[in-house]
Amino acid sequence: MKLRFNRKQLCIPYAAFLILFVIVPLLVIIYYAFTNGEGQFTFDNLVSFFSSTNTIGTLIYSFALAITTTLVCLLIAYPTAYILARSGFKKKYVLLLLFIMPMWINFTLRITALKEILTVIEGNIAAYPFLNSVIGMTYDFLPFMILPLYTSLLKLDKSLMEAAQDLGASKIRVFLRVTLPLSVPGIISGITMVLLPSMTNYVVLDMLYNSTYIMGSLIGSYFNAYDWNNGSMISLILLVIIFIVTLVTNRFSDKDDNGGREVIL
Amino acid sequence: MQRFKRTLCITAALSIAACSTFSLFGCSTENDVVTLRVANWEEYIDLGDWGEDELIDIENEYAEDPEDGVFGENSMVDDFVEWFNANHDYEIEVEYSTFGTNEDLYNRLSLGDIYDLVCPSDYMIMKLLAEDEVEPFSDEFFDEDNEHNYYVNNASDYITGIFDDYGWSQYAACYMWGTTGIVYNPDLVDEEAVSTWNILRDADYKRQVTIKDNVRDAYFATLGIIHGEELLDIGYGDATADERSALLNDTSDETIAAAEDMLKEIKENVYSFETDSGKADMVTGKVLANYQWSGDAVYIMDEADGDESNPTELWYSVPEECTNLWFDGWVMLKDGIDGDEQRKEAAEAFVNFLSRPDNAVRNMYYIGYTSSIASDLVFDYMDWNYGFVFDPSDEEYFDEELTEVYEYDLSYFFGDGYSLYVDASVLELDGDTLEVSSEMLGEEEYGNDIEYTVYRGGEINRGRQLFGQYPTANIIDRSVVMLDFGDKLTDINQMWIHVRCLDLLDYNPVIVGIVAAVVVVIILAIVLYHFRYRIFIKKYKPRKGYKKIEA
Repeated sequence: MKLRFNRKQLCIPYAAFLILFVIVPLLVIIYYAFTNGEGQFTFDNLVSFFSSTNTIGTLIYSFALAITTTLVCLLIAYPTAYILARSGFKKKYVLLLLFIMPMWINFTLRITALKEILTVIEGNIAAYPFLNSVIGMTYDFLPFMILPLYTSLLKLDKSLMEAAQDLGASKIRVFLRVTLPLSVPGIISGITMVLLPSMTNYVVLDMLYNSTYIMGSLIGSYFNAYDWNNGSMISLILLVIIFIVTLVTNRFSDKDDNGGREVIL
Repeated sequence: MQRFKRTLCITAALSIAACSTFSLFGCSTENDVVTLRVANWEEYIDLGDWGEDELIDIENEYAEDPEDGVFGENSMVDDFVEWFNANHDYEIEVEYSTFGTNEDLYNRLSLGDIYDLVCPSDYMIMKLLAEDEVEPFSDEFFDEDNEHNYYVNNASDYITGIFDDYGWSQYAACYMWGTTGIVYNPDLVDEEAVSTWNILRDADYKRQVTIKDNVRDAYFATLGIIHGEELLDIGYGDATADERSALLNDTSDETIAAAEDMLKEIKENVYSFETDSGKADMVTGKVLANYQWSGDAVYIMDEADGDESNPTELWYSVPEECTNLWFDGWVMLKDGIDGDEQRKEAAEAFVNFLSRPDNAVRNMYYIGYTSSIASDLVFDYMDWNYGFVFDPSDEEYFDEELTEVYEYDLSYFFGDGYSLYVDASVLELDGDTLEVSSEMLGEEEYGNDIEYTVYRGGEINRGRQLFGQYPTANIIDRSVVMLDFGDKLTDINQMWIHVRCLDLLDYNPVIVGIVAAVVVVIILAIVLYHFRYRIFIKKYKPRKGYKKIEA
């Protein structure tokens, strides 16, 4: 007997994976989110999330942290990517590699090292929890910002800039009116890849002694108290928020391709 | 049809393969081997593989040759399987898994994980008991005439007494126990400051003390602060045990509200809420004091002593108000045992094997916590371990230089007449004269006539750890078992969320409003900018006769 597969059969593993690890867990989360401890259908979990100043406060704190991290990442990454992409270095791939290389080391290890460095600089690092969290997350997510920016800047058609210059635009004007708008897909893609994980990556906060909860730790604390219903509801809300953010950013970048995401994925 | 056949073939082949694999396992487990599923804390059992120099050289009556001492060659679990299979007419194997927190274990049980024997803490045992999950030990387990019943024959009466009081004895066998307190660096922290839970909010130690990142331990210390004066007023001892227990298991709404405020204050003052990083931070000197469980305190002190580049002498203090007396105990689960007599026998044998005094010593050595076993061998191990211990009445061992000793009374645990003689310097705290507070050592009741002057052995002492391993009787007098929160768990967890989350109410509503307005304006601006052509500028229409070409 010869074993031969047609195309449809080849996608069985993929479908199985999708059902087992994406759809079923999602359904379980939805089930728990809309039931109470006794298993009855309820909207209480949803109401309690939006009626508590603590959970809303946590949401805002997570956003504040994530937005600050994203902005810092962008401010550092854009010039870096610009220089890397535009420079005439023959070995610019080596330079790029230097920025990406930290990604190959486990991030808890990197944060532990960062902790020691910060201790040397700041003395008692517990005094600056927000600042340290931003530094830690920036350190962690910077490559995710640099890579898409780099690819989108690299792909820019140089003749467009030359044309702008020929037509009398100053260097600043060329950058503002040509380069920057054309690199928007890269920026958007970088923002998505930094903003979303930094809303939930509470391990960095834990390791850098930030005692204030963000969304990830809030969910964890509910599960620790065997309150799966509220925990699931918050996960679901986070999922919806992420979905909306992705939707909005996709609108900005839909004209172009996927803005260099393929480099990482 | 062709395709259908092929699919059928594949399915059939797969199912045959799967069946044969299963049946292979199925056969072996059903007829010959009983699988015992054990879940224990991480790093909470001897894994063997000791170095040659780690031999504990004490007379071990349980070894083939008593002169061999106590030594962990193989892992405890492997030794158990070997021991069990040699003594029974059927074979077992152990499926050993670990968990990180009690809540982790409980969540896994609710998800349907099946274990026969687990080792949760006191309050989790209560919770499992309340939910009728626990299989009671058999009558044979309590048969004192059977020499293999190491647990009933060797467990400390002190421990079993407490288990009796709470009605756990039938269901749980204590594995390890201890207190909670504060590890600190005596050179940098004032002794008086660490003798109270108030150090957690002491401005002198702002951002220099860590607290445990779990609601129970944090709540306990907070109650110690809130009810601090009352606790000191009622004094120590059995007479006020019930009052003390009531104060430290107080889950009334007012107390929870007060605890919330107190914990918010503590949050602003401590270095961090830590789950595990506190140990390393204490050893490396990032923090000066550290809320700890006694066993980890011993571990930290050992590590700090052994730090080659910068050995530091750390101490363990138990605050004057109260301490949390905790236990981790083995319980069998109904879902796992499921009426299987052999499985139950194996589970009970596992508990007994761990309770065999030489194995208790191995585990104590390996993990640093204190076993519930109170046999002579364990006492000998303490004697051996804390090298400065000597008996002044014994001329042969009497060291001329070592004229100051302290009688460390362990009779409450090991029975009458068991006292360790400890080099006084081991318990010396600071300065030239011994200033051991009576609260710390129970001196008032258990002190002796020997005059304390300072002796320093010239090397760092390891005896301080004894204080962490076996609290003095006076500390026992102010210890409290912290019960399960029961129905109040939701309220207390909510309180914890209030503490840990950023609360909008803590901020000026005007500022919150302004920030919210700015955010909304920015978002609106971005959206408007994006759609500006569609909204403000009319769509470009081609001139008559021309056509727009889509890019």
